[in-house]
Amino acid sequence: MNWIWFHKLGSPKWFFQWANKWSKFAFVIGLVMLVVGIAWGLGFAPADYQQGNSFRIIYIHVPSAILAQSCYLGLGVAGLVSLVWRMKMAPVFIKAVAPLGAVMAVIALISGAIWGKPTWGAWWVWDARLTSVLILFLLYMGVIAIQNSLDDMQLADKAVAVISVVGLINLPIIKYSVEWWNTLHQPATFTITAKPAMPMEMWLPLLLSTLGMYGFIAAIAMWRMQTEVLVREHRSNWVKKEILDNGI
Amino acid sequence: MTYSSFFYSEILAIFRRKQDAVNALVFFLLVITLFPLGVSPSKEFLQPAAGGIIWCAVALAVLMSVEGMFKEDYNDGSLEQLVVSGLYLPVLVLLKLAVHWFAIMLPLLVLTPILSQMLFINWEILWVLILTLILGSPALFLIGTIGAALTVSLRRGAVLMLLIILPFYLPVIIFSTGAIAAAQVGQPYNGQLAILGAISLMTLTLSPIMAAVSIKASVN
Amino acid sequence: MISADLGKPLHSNLDLSISGLVIERSERILCDNFSCVVKAGEVARIMGENGAGKSTLLKVIAGILQPLEGQIFFSGEDISYHRDMLHRELLYLGHHAGIKAVFSVAENLNWYCPNQTSDAIELALDVVGLAGYSDTPAHQLSAGQQRRIALARLWLTDKKVWLLDEPFTALDVKGVAVLEAKIKQHTDAGGLVILTTHQALDDSLSVKEIKLV
Repeated sequence: MNWIWFHKLGSPKWFFQWANKWSKFAFVIGLVMLVVGIAWGLGFAPADYQQGNSFRIIYIHVPSAILAQSCYLGLGVAGLVSLVWRMKMAPVFIKAVAPLGAVMAVIALISGAIWGKPTWGAWWVWDARLTSVLILFLLYMGVIAIQNSLDDMQLADKAVAVISVVGLINLPIIKYSVEWWNTLHQPATFTITAKPAMPMEMWLPLLLSTLGMYGFIAAIAMWRMQTEVLVREHRSNWVKKEILDNGI
Repeated sequence: MTYSSFFYSEILAIFRRKQDAVNALVFFLLVITLFPLGVSPSKEFLQPAAGGIIWCAVALAVLMSVEGMFKEDYNDGSLEQLVVSGLYLPVLVLLKLAVHWFAIMLPLLVLTPILSQMLFINWEILWVLILTLILGSPALFLIGTIGAALTVSLRRGAVLMLLIILPFYLPVIIFSTGAIAAAQVGQPYNGQLAILGAISLMTLTLSPIMAAVSIKASVN
Repeated sequence: MISADLGKPLHSNLDLSISGLVIERSERILCDNFSCVVKAGEVARIMGENGAGKSTLLKVIAGILQPLEGQIFFSGEDISYHRDMLHRELLYLGHHAGIKAVFSVAENLNWYCPNQTSDAIELALDVVGLAGYSDTPAHQLSAGQQRRIALARLWLTDKKVWLLDEPFTALDVKGVAVLEAKIKQHTDAGGLVILTTHQALDDSLSVKEIKLV
């Protein structure tokens, strides 16, 4: 396998130009899929025979919950890359993505609560998966807090990398422990191996909106990273040229 | 500096600062007292909740004592000296932790039988509680030192450290209280104890290295 | 017995060379493409304005700070990433002396130099003007006296590379002369010293000046 692209991504300049090309693409594709998926899900997919129309919030809840977890996975991997290979872009990634993941977790929590009211009759139930999203949110807040509290950039980068890696290793344990602790929730919506339990016309818009959310968040993450790269590399010549040529 | 002179100096330092260990112990006692006063002193509430109460108090007391572990070393420059000493930093962290673990946990374990009576824990359950404390508390110390090392350069690092470390304590608290609850209803609790031991072993391999990385980043 | 290694010949290829070092501190470039070589038997003095990064350079060499770019070689080995080889031969005295307030003077030295007898420690304390203080808790001493405890380590160590950040500040005229003599003795025996100071050094020391711009 060719790893050159991976090494190139470590160079801020190369990343900046790469992101210039791909962020708009990801944004457009992501937004279209997200809009189509959500509109399809909210307007055209059949109602659930048990939950009626209230289940439709799944088209917001599930993509954001999946994104919240994926972002944390990304954080952990970036933390590892940052600690082991000292790649310059890894801390930039963590700084850019942590708030996005936190927002996704919040959306998942709020939509979960709204979904919970008609389904369980209460805004909040201490079930395993809602609780682990809450803990995930708290983990994100820890990463963000330490990023913002440490003024020294090198120390802050190291600190968030350490916490992300520790979090990555702990996340399965936390998830398992919370699941063991209590399970009331319905089983996972997506499984990779088994056939989806949902009918196709419900499942397809969910897939679309999830993929759309990935593209959308990827685009925003790239823009945030580009901004951070400009801030960090502000002394280098290519940044000066970039600003002179294209403005801010 | 050698490993043994470092170890000896840590013992000496903790002996000279007995008040720190006493503080953690009093804090532990105080948190436990909050529950009968704040919720209910009845046996019906306290007996099933006792495991959780004690474990939450332990987690907070450990966090509080671990938080200051590197503070003085950082301020007087001896943390820098550890970094340049040529000794393997993770081992130094581990030695320091071992001393702290003994200083905090030993008196706490001695206090536990008395407290368990105040919370109506049966004698048969008591030794399960003590087992969970012995198996689970190393993980609390080991995870906590990462936070302590990361926030050592901050003047007000305590809250931040609480924020980043407490979520990682959840599995330990869940399985410890799970073991105690299982024992109280007469179910087997070996599984939970094994998991507790596994978590402590895993953090034993990971935490000293992570703490060393954090210390190196903090001393500048 | 002080400085057990005194008469022993040291390996002659002991040297520290720095090339293309770039140090950044809080958004400021302190050393830009800085290079130098310090050999065994030399005293190097880092020159520069206040805030030019003299202490920072010492910390980078000691491995407490990481440089942005550049390489450091110790006796020909690349130690840019791992200073372990250097640390085995290193004695670093920074701005904070690393003296524990709860320990007595002798306990502090015992911690750093565990292989020394109490007689040797008494002698070293005598040299730095702390005779009779060995059982005094360090927190009862002034900041200057605490720094002198740290300086006493120089008489108790067999490390060959000394990085000293403002070693003369806590000393009176006599103390400065004693320390200069010790540094000379150390370099004559094949040691290597890099230091920063505001003080003019005695002519008997052949000082190599390293300019930081």
